[in-house]
Amino acid sequence: MSGEHERVPEFPGLSRRDFLKFCGYTAALLGLAESGIADVAQALAAAVKKPPVVWLEAQDCAGCSVSFISSMHPGVAEIILDTISLRYHETVMAGSGLLAEKALEDTIAEKGYVLVVEGSIPTADGRYCTVAGKEIGDTVKKAAENAAAIIAVGACATYGGIPAAGPTGAKGVAGFLGRDDVINISTCPAHVEHIVGTIVYYLLYNRAPELDSHGRPTMFFSTLIHDNCPRRGRFDRGEFMTDRNDPAQKDWCLYLFGCKGPFTFSDCPIRKWNDGTNWCVECGAGCQGCAEPAFYAGMSPLYAKTKDVAGLNVDTIGKALGAATAAGLAVHFIGQVASGRLGKGGPREGGDSA
Amino acid sequence: MAERITIDPVTRIEGHLKIEVEVDNGKVVNAWSSGTMFRGFEILLKGRDPRDASFVTSRFCGVCFSVHQMASAKALDMAFGARVPEGGRLLRNLMMGAEYLYDHVLHFYHLSALDYIDILAVANYKGKDPGLLAIKDKLVKLVEAGDTYPLTPRYEPDEFTINDPEVVLTLVSHYLKALEIQTKARHMGAIFGGRHPHYQSIVVGGVTQLPDAEKIARFRSLLVEVTDFIKNVYLPDVVAVGTGPLLPLAQAGIGGGHLNYLSYGGFELDDEGKEQFFKPGVIKDGKFDAVEAFDPDRVTESVTYSWYKGDKALHPYDGETEPDLEKKDAYSWVKAPRYDGKPMEVGPLARMLIMKDRTLMSLITDKGLKPGAVARHAARAIETALLADAMFEWLDQLIEAAGKPDFKIHDTEHWEVPDTAKGQGFYEAPRGALGHWLSIKGGKIENYQAVVPSTWNASPRDERNVRGQYEESLIGVPVPDTNNPINVVRVIRSFDPCLACAIHLIEPRSNRIREFVVR
Repeated sequence: MSGEHERVPEFPGLSRRDFLKFCGYTAALLGLAESGIADVAQALAAAVKKPPVVWLEAQDCAGCSVSFISSMHPGVAEIILDTISLRYHETVMAGSGLLAEKALEDTIAEKGYVLVVEGSIPTADGRYCTVAGKEIGDTVKKAAENAAAIIAVGACATYGGIPAAGPTGAKGVAGFLGRDDVINISTCPAHVEHIVGTIVYYLLYNRAPELDSHGRPTMFFSTLIHDNCPRRGRFDRGEFMTDRNDPAQKDWCLYLFGCKGPFTFSDCPIRKWNDGTNWCVECGAGCQGCAEPAFYAGMSPLYAKTKDVAGLNVDTIGKALGAATAAGLAVHFIGQVASGRLGKGGPREGGDSA
Repeated sequence: MAERITIDPVTRIEGHLKIEVEVDNGKVVNAWSSGTMFRGFEILLKGRDPRDASFVTSRFCGVCFSVHQMASAKALDMAFGARVPEGGRLLRNLMMGAEYLYDHVLHFYHLSALDYIDILAVANYKGKDPGLLAIKDKLVKLVEAGDTYPLTPRYEPDEFTINDPEVVLTLVSHYLKALEIQTKARHMGAIFGGRHPHYQSIVVGGVTQLPDAEKIARFRSLLVEVTDFIKNVYLPDVVAVGTGPLLPLAQAGIGGGHLNYLSYGGFELDDEGKEQFFKPGVIKDGKFDAVEAFDPDRVTESVTYSWYKGDKALHPYDGETEPDLEKKDAYSWVKAPRYDGKPMEVGPLARMLIMKDRTLMSLITDKGLKPGAVARHAARAIETALLADAMFEWLDQLIEAAGKPDFKIHDTEHWEVPDTAKGQGFYEAPRGALGHWLSIKGGKIENYQAVVPSTWNASPRDERNVRGQYEESLIGVPVPDTNNPINVVRVIRSFDPCLACAIHLIEPRSNRIREFVVR
């Protein structure tokens, strides 16, 4: 390793030690082998200047921004001060009003930036969301034209999310722009490691990571939550939680409380949230399917047991996902139902309230 | 002649806010506050499984999501007839507490501090502290590389700006440390809440996750570390700058506004909800010794200057609101709530004044602080320290309760949706008084409504043309250079605006909503 350290040039703004640490974290984020650290280091150090990033907020709750600024490995200060040139981000930037507007306009004129969009775009009437007196849809269009890459973060910006169920005609960025090259980082909020990992991947390879049919990076969204769920064994054995107070049921399957893990693709069970602290299934709430285009309306009711989750059945999910997965899912589910595990009287439900 | 300045977007806040001021002779003489985004959450909740509400309303705001989840869960608790058991109450308190610790630290260092320090002054640091020198080097390198985004562009430093290099460097080092601390406070929330932002585990009837020894120990260890920062860095920083370089600003009471304060109360101290950690109450017209009891029936909402149909002041239950994008004279998506017809300030300053907090009172009497922007920061830091102490007690109570054989976190018997019911939930969000209401019919949400802190603070004028609290607090604020309205954003940010949740819609179902019973 010491030989590799020698080859790494210094990166502006970071000590060599911090820089290598940063590269190590990002390599880990991208699942690169140890040798990848040097690649990350060289690619970033080779950049003449920090790559400009514009982060627009449309119909958002700032939850994805809040998620983003929780990055510990690498630290958020290293990202926003040393790694990227964060030209515009309403929740973070120092300047307001005309100063902010000018920073945005200058960067758009300069071209070649990474555009990140958080929040949905209202299409029923553009006046449902304005910033600097302009309809946000117009600003997104304008910023998208000159962007080197477009990353939509969170359920709202990817597929419309919760606002799409409302009256404003809210759409995700790809749908709004009619483009198929938008990188979609779904979930509500977007996961900080998914956001940082995707940005770093782009900076490293100068191209988008491999995407699935919904525009999501396969490195984060190719596995079914159900398949990696630590409670999967409970599901297979038909052990379904019915009493949250019963210690014996503590790690039983949450299917009867509406868990959408069988219909949701994300690496949440492996990666977990907040630096591996916890995640939706571990905390007993179950998965609400926020990584999927069907979220929110298609996943509601969130806490009710449904065989056809969110109005989808295994066949329609299968078509969107590809034959092999669909077959696996279908066989699995048909198997479950056929064997009575999900059917009436089949599952072993905890407690006596079932 | 008066000059009109528009600040849009106001950055380093949650949400989309436009502030317009009229400046005459170097002072603000008139102001308008506009929320510029609308999503219609209350509409999309109609017809849904009521249990969805606590999850969905969390997305009102990604900064203070948990309090919406909490107020919503409380409204659902009432509607479902659920009694939250002791374990559920304590875990809810601890999650809400973690939210305050993260939110207030983030607000001071990351959203506000840049308004008060000249960050580029660090270049003049001549001291030898290795930690400070490392930060100085880092910033100087950014300047030399010609790219200091997002620290610049910025409004230019003025006579209130702190430019002593050592003080600035120290605050910048605390800014960086606070990034780590706020993340750790969020880990605390995630330990019991599943993830942060947007907790998963608060549902009708209590919480979804049984605590175990490992989780409790991890929570406590983080609480120790975060509390250390709050008591030994955050609170001292705020007091030091508030009674030091910013004392003239503090004594002038810049950003005081109407001097009306409201708190609903929050953090239940018993399972019946009789006693709360934050006390409910009302202060009117700066009469700080005359704290009145809070009566929800005295709340009205006006939409005269909001993009909704109608022009009468109505009780929230009678709200007649439909979007009207063509409405003449309207300038905001935020409505104008009033208490006894008066605009109110909600948030940390209101809470600490209503509770007559000793530390705040001594700053007022001994140092001459007047209610305003600086006092708001001070009250926020003070209550963070108070809450941290209370959280240790709640954690001890949780350990004791968890050892009992009948320990419960959830009222599972009331998990199923009632056919017809109503509920309301009041809470204190970091930004102030928050209320959720819902009615259920046929097992589905019939109506949903929220009146949130920033609706109070950021409200536009009402039907009598009385300004909202942001607007009033800007009157008289010095703006010597209209190209550099730094005092305007200082005042606005001191409220910790949160605009996404301020904007909501109440359905035009006046008769039915009137049936809500408020106690």
